[in-house]
Amino acid sequence: MDRIECQWCRAQNQTGRTNCTTCGAPLDTKDLVTDSGWAEAPRLRDMTEFRFSNSACQIEGEIVPVAELALAQGDSVFFEHHVMLWKEPQVPMSALNTGGGMKRMLGGMPHILSVAHGPGRVAFSRDHAGEVVVLPLHPSMELDVREHAFLAGTHSLTYSFVRIKGLANVLHGGGGMYIDRFVTHQEPGLLLLHGYGNVFQKMLQPGEKIMVEPGGFLYKDSSVTMNAVKQNVKTGLMGGHSMYLAEMTGPGRVGIQSMYVHHGSE
Amino acid sequence: MSMPPAQGAYTCPYCRLASGGADRTCPHCGAPIDVRLKVSDSGWIEQPPIRDMARIRFSRSTCQISGEYVPVAEMGLHDDDWVYFSHHVLLHSDPKVRFDNMPMKGAWKRMRAGMPLVMMRAQGPGHIAFSADHPGETLAVPLAPGRVIDVAEHRFLVATGNVAYDWQNSNVWFTTPGDDNKEEWHYPLGQTIDQFAVQGGNGLLLLHAPGNTFIRDLQPGQRILVQPTGLIWKDQSVRMFLHFEYPHGNYWYSSAKWQAKTTWLVLEGPGRVAVQSVFERPEPTGTVRRSSGATTQYW
Repeated sequence: MDRIECQWCRAQNQTGRTNCTTCGAPLDTKDLVTDSGWAEAPRLRDMTEFRFSNSACQIEGEIVPVAELALAQGDSVFFEHHVMLWKEPQVPMSALNTGGGMKRMLGGMPHILSVAHGPGRVAFSRDHAGEVVVLPLHPSMELDVREHAFLAGTHSLTYSFVRIKGLANVLHGGGGMYIDRFVTHQEPGLLLLHGYGNVFQKMLQPGEKIMVEPGGFLYKDSSVTMNAVKQNVKTGLMGGHSMYLAEMTGPGRVGIQSMYVHHGSE
Repeated sequence: MSMPPAQGAYTCPYCRLASGGADRTCPHCGAPIDVRLKVSDSGWIEQPPIRDMARIRFSRSTCQISGEYVPVAEMGLHDDDWVYFSHHVLLHSDPKVRFDNMPMKGAWKRMRAGMPLVMMRAQGPGHIAFSADHPGETLAVPLAPGRVIDVAEHRFLVATGNVAYDWQNSNVWFTTPGDDNKEEWHYPLGQTIDQFAVQGGNGLLLLHAPGNTFIRDLQPGQRILVQPTGLIWKDQSVRMFLHFEYPHGNYWYSSAKWQAKTTWLVLEGPGRVAVQSVFERPEPTGTVRRSSGATTQYW
């Protein structure tokens, strides 16, 4: 039987489908790639539906999109409590302690994640203009995501975090940047992110480098290394300030957003 | 550094440069060619957004616009080409692109006005991308030799190396009584205005406009009133000054001078003006003491 491969998540789909069953990406439109190799994240059509485990996710709206999940019995998702837009009353909730409580609080990050369990419906929104980025994760994958971009993750994902010092603190007055790390083990998982503005992804070859504005960084494979690199360009009246960029080195994929977000310093 | 020669059968209504017309978009400004001109009944032309992934050519380099919410302008710079920009709009760059400073005059005044003190220069070869960090449209304004345009502050994104940059005091201001009877100064258009002109061949200027963009060609002496923060750019030939309108009070003892007034920016032709549909909420200021020159209307 002929199959259509989704160019975003590489899942196989039956012919005749107009959007991917695994990530919702349109299958009947041409992929948009810039001359330098940045692929634009698929613009999910309003009311696009796709499946994970025994549950379903529907993306609603296009300017400030909402991800509505219909959770099956036995499935659950975790998220930062303030991104929950609504839920059905019978959806059970629990908490997931992330560790690092005081440090995360000082960094403006939640130290407890909320968990919603099926059966029932729950919906999430990041409350800003942008795109929902759907990232199905195959077993044994590790993905690093910038702070405050994570919308929801399925129960099969393991969550941890690291703090990158020096990345966003010089230019933006913050205390560094938290990176959320999501790992899959035996089961596949689904990660929903919110990208501020438009989202682009590039696959870096081993040793290939790209310089990215730290606020524009959205996610990367854990195989991609990220270092703060000082650019020798003075911007201050007295010449005391310099510019820092994130140097990303492959192999692996890098995702960026076109709005620069520095929540920690706002 | 120059734009490709402007020859051909099609003249773009937005940038007024000619091309072959065989492409779906204008090679000089990226405007779609295969869509109908949208003109409001009053004569405003809606500038269509540049299509996702549309390419603009300048000199031996290209500029590709990607994304539709918060568009990104990605430039593929040839060895001989360079662009300048304010450092905070840089999104990503190839490591081989070379950066240096482009100092500007009047650092103290610019700092007080909240404007960047130093522009950065990026020299090809390599790819470099810019984003204005706000939802809206990227506007490509190709500039022919001899043409000078005034651009409202904070609208500038990036320009090719042959576009000369200067700035002036906007000279659009008024004062009102403040605390302790001190004068409070207001700059409805901002304290400064950017000026761009071209030396040598044609140049390319990219601006960012929040919301939608509309353009209009004013005849000599023709006037239009716009919200001051709605202005994106205008030809240097277009004159501008303030206009205060006081609505009539509800009662016979209502004094018009205490009513909330409307502060307009008057644009007087000849020349082209461009406005955006997003603007700051105007302040309902009271009595005007002094101004840079304004007309007044009591209704």
